Amino acid sequence: MKKSQSRKQTKSLRRRDFLIKTAGGVLATAAFGAVPLRGWAAEPVNIGALYPVTGSFAQIGQACVNAAKLAVEMVNDAGGIKSLGGAKLNLILSDVQSDTTVTRTETDRLISGNKLSAIHGCYASALTLIASEVAERAKVAIITGSSSDMLNKGRSYTFTPFARASQFAKAQLQMSKLVSDKPKVAVVFENTAFGTSTSNGLKEQAPGEGVEIVLFEPYSAGFADAGPLLNKVKASGADMLFAVSYLNDLILIVRTVKQIGLKVGINGGSGGFVVPDFYKNVGSLAEGLQGVAHWNHDVDTNAQKVNSEYKKRHGEFLFEYGGGLVAQTFMLADALERAQSTDPQKVRDALAALDVSSGYAAMAPGGKVKFGPDGKNVYGHPVGVQWQTADLASVFPKEDARAPLMKS
Amino acid sequence: MLETVVQAVINGLLIGGIYALVSIGVTLIFGVVKIVNFAQGEFVMIGMYISFFLSSYFGIDPLVSLAVSMPALFLVGLCLQHFLIRRVLGLGDMPQIFLTFALSLLLMNLALMAFTANYRTVHTWYSDEAIHLGEIYVPVAKLIAFVLAMALSGTLWVFLQTTDMGKAMRAAAQKPEVAMLMGINPNRVFAVATGVSLALAGAAGSLLMPFYPASPTAGQVFVLMAFVAVVLGTLGNVRGALIASLMMGVAESLGIQFVGADSGLIVVFLMLLLTLAIRPSGLAGGGAR
Repeated sequence: MKKSQSRKQTKSLRRRDFLIKTAGGVLATAAFGAVPLRGWAAEPVNIGALYPVTGSFAQIGQACVNAAKLAVEMVNDAGGIKSLGGAKLNLILSDVQSDTTVTRTETDRLISGNKLSAIHGCYASALTLIASEVAERAKVAIITGSSSDMLNKGRSYTFTPFARASQFAKAQLQMSKLVSDKPKVAVVFENTAFGTSTSNGLKEQAPGEGVEIVLFEPYSAGFADAGPLLNKVKASGADMLFAVSYLNDLILIVRTVKQIGLKVGINGGSGGFVVPDFYKNVGSLAEGLQGVAHWNHDVDTNAQKVNSEYKKRHGEFLFEYGGGLVAQTFMLADALERAQSTDPQKVRDALAALDVSSGYAAMAPGGKVKFGPDGKNVYGHPVGVQWQTADLASVFPKEDARAPLMKS
Repeated sequence: MLETVVQAVINGLLIGGIYALVSIGVTLIFGVVKIVNFAQGEFVMIGMYISFFLSSYFGIDPLVSLAVSMPALFLVGLCLQHFLIRRVLGLGDMPQIFLTFALSLLLMNLALMAFTANYRTVHTWYSDEAIHLGEIYVPVAKLIAFVLAMALSGTLWVFLQTTDMGKAMRAAAQKPEVAMLMGINPNRVFAVATGVSLALAGAAGSLLMPFYPASPTAGQVFVLMAFVAVVLGTLGNVRGALIASLMMGVAESLGIQFVGADSGLIVVFLMLLLTLAIRPSGLAGGGAR
C-alpha cells in the first residue's frame, strides 16, 4: 500500500515537473517567436531536419533524429553561433515517412512554412534525391550523408561530406586484399535494383584492383535456405564472399557459412550491416565480418566522445549515419559562424567555402572536409570496418585503421 | 562434382521436410473441409513467434516448445473452423477464398503491429552446428527438424489409417454425402481436420526457429512452395503432398546449383507444369486419400 502510494507521488511529481517545463518552454518560444529581441537574446537559427520516422526506415530514421538532437545540443551548450550573438540552433523536424511522394511535399512544406538557414536529411538515398531537388529549387542548402553519386550531378545547394557509393565498391575490393594477395571473390547479390547496381559496380572495378571474381551470382531475395547458394560459393573455390543482401538473407548466409565450416571471409557492405541491430541478430557469428562505412565512431577522439555520450543516452554505439550527422551539424555551425547571417544564400556560400581539419566538423575518415564544385568532399573516402567484440572497429585504409584486422 | 550433387540433394531434402509439414496441413484442410487455406503460412509464423517468445522469456528450447505451439494452434484451428470457416461452407468458392485470404493479410499486419518488422532469432547450442562426413555436411538443426517433420507426418498417416476419427476424415474427404449418411458428424470431423492442419503449421514454425529468423512475413516464404507441392502431389492427398514437397526441395536445390540462384523456382514450376501436362490430377493420381 505504502509502496504504491509513494510510486503514485513520484509519478505526479514528475508530471508536475513536466508541466512546468513544458509551460516554460511554450512561454519561451512564444516570447521569442512574437518579439525578436535582438541584442538581448539572439534569434535562434532554424535548421530543417528531414528523416523517415515512420514507415520501413522508421527504426533507423528515429535513431537519426536522436543523433541530430544530440548534435544541436552540443552546439548550443558550447555557446551557439558566436558571430550571431550566441544564437542557438533550433531543429525543426519533419517526418518524410519513408516515402518519396511524402518527402517531396514535406520538404516543400518545411521550406515554405519556416525561415530556414539550411536543411539536413534523409538517410535513404532515394528520399534524399527528392529532398535535394526541392531544396535546389528553393535555394536552401541541404547537407547529407546519403551516398548516391546522383546527388553530385548538376546541383549547387547539395553538399555531401562523406564517401560516395562508387567509392564503396573500390574500398570493398581493396579490403579483400587484406585477406590474401590474390583474392578470389564470390559476389552473391539479390536480383533487384539495389543488388544489381551495387554488384555491377564491384564487377566493373574488380580488374582494375587486381581482384578475380570467381562467382557472380544473382539470387531472389527471401530464400528459405541459404544452403544451396553457399554450396555454389563453396564449389567456386572463393576465399572472400561479398554479399549484397537484405538483413534476413544475410543472417541465413552468415549462419550457414558457419555450419558448412566454409573458410571464407565475408564482406557485408554498408547500410544494415553496420548498425547495432545486425549484431543483435547474428550474435558472436558476426565477429570478424567486414563491411564498409562512411563514418565510424573510432575515427578520432572527438568521435569517441560523441559516441560515449550517445551510448549513455541510447544504450548502443553511434552508428555510421548518425555519427556523420553530428559532424554535419558542426559543419553547418561553422558555416553560420563565417556567414554571420541566417540568410540561406549566405549560409550556402559559406558552406561551399568550408575548409576544416579539426574539431567536430572534421570528424570523418581522413579528418578533413572541403567541398569541390560538385558538392563532394574532396578528401571524402569510406572506411573499412570489422565486427570485433560486439563493436565496429575501423581496419582500412591504413591511415584510418584504429585496430588490426582480425584474421578468421 | 559428385560431392556437390550429393550436398545439393541433402540440402533439398532437409528443407523439403519443412515444406512437407506446411503442405500436408494445406492438403488436409482441402481434402476434408474442401477449402483452400491461404493463411497457412501465417500460422507457421505464429508458431515461430510462440517458440521465439518461450525461448527468449523462459529459455525453453524451440523443440520443447512444440508441446505448446502444436496444442495452441490446434485450439486455434477448432475456433477457426467453428466461428469462421463453418459460416462460409456451401456458399461457393469466392467467400471461402476471400475469408482465408483476408485472414492471411489480417494476421500478417497484426503481427507487424505487435512484433514490428524486426527479425528475431533464437540461438541454441545446435543452431550453427553440423555433422561433417568428409566433404559433405549435414546441419544439425535442419536434420532434427527433418526427422521430427517425418515423424509427425508418419503419425498423421497412422492416425488417418487406424483411428475412427482418422477413418471418418478420409471418408469425409472421399464422399462427404455418404460419410454423413453413415452417421459421421461433419462439423466435428471438419473441426479436428482444421485443428490438426494448424497444429502441423505450428510444428513447422517451432522446428524452423532454431535456424530461421522469425518475422511477420516469414510464413510467405514457405507457403508458396507448399501450394505447389499440394497441386503436384494431387489435391487432398497427404502422402502425395509429402513426396512432392521432398521432390521440390531437391529440385529447387539442384536448380540453384546448376541453373542459377535466382532460377531455383523456375525448375520447380517447370516440374509442376510437366506433371500437370502428363498427369493432370497430380503425381498421386487417384484423388484424395
